[in-house]
Amino acid sequence: MADTQLEDPRFIEKLRQGDPVAFGQLVKGHHNMLLATARTLLSPADAEEAVQDAWIAAHRAIAKFEGRSLLRTWLTRIVINQAKMMLRKRGREIQFDPTNDPDALAHRFHGDGHWQHPPQHWELSSPENLLTREELRRCMEKHLHFMPDSQRLVLELRDLQGLPADDVCNMLEISASNVRVLLHRARARLFEMVDHFQETGEC
Amino acid sequence: MLKCQHLVEKADALVDGTPISRRERFALRLHLIMCRHCRRYVRQLRALLGFLPREETPLDDARTEAILKKLDASRDH
Repeated sequence: MADTQLEDPRFIEKLRQGDPVAFGQLVKGHHNMLLATARTLLSPADAEEAVQDAWIAAHRAIAKFEGRSLLRTWLTRIVINQAKMMLRKRGREIQFDPTNDPDALAHRFHGDGHWQHPPQHWELSSPENLLTREELRRCMEKHLHFMPDSQRLVLELRDLQGLPADDVCNMLEISASNVRVLLHRARARLFEMVDHFQETGEC
Repeated sequence: MLKCQHLVEKADALVDGTPISRRERFALRLHLIMCRHCRRYVRQLRALLGFLPREETPLDDARTEAILKKLDASRDH
């Protein structure tokens, strides 16, 4: 089922009534997306467990879903809460303070705010499109892995899941400006990485 | 005039549609008209975000079944 159908009020009403077929469609449509979110914080095995637990929690609570947010947002919030519990069990927590990681692009500017090292021209329109290169994809995965959890999570929620900024602030319980800074830092790291790859051909 | 570094910090809103004031949007647009480095930055940032590996595939039937089974099992407790 397409995403819009999974947000349709009639479909949501079926879920609230406990329709098992509808719940199956919900799991089918959203599981992989929720798993990708959980994986930004947890190992693959822990992520599987967190999302499974989230489905159990969602199934129990769905009758009380009031449609004040997207269903997708509601589910993502449950997954994040499960993931946080799992992190606590492992003695970890997400560090949302954006100031402890520098801006990856800051070194490219002169003191007066003008470009000192402007971006390279990326080959985007040729058949050898830079962004579709396999080595670059692997390099990106590596950089995503080493990114601070909070940046990876915000990037996932905003740029990959496309969730509204307000929803992300609410579910993470952080300010709009922190979400903006974390997202910017994450994008800056990836931009810097691709630019370096374009220039040197290396990760 | 707006500095390039400032544009790069603010360009996120242009790329993802975060609401900004008309005045701010105007300042960003004006800077972009005059600065090819920043135009390149914004264009390539857009391309980069479009390329990020999204997870959109539906779950296969067997694994969907497995999850639903565990739901039933948890209800019995």
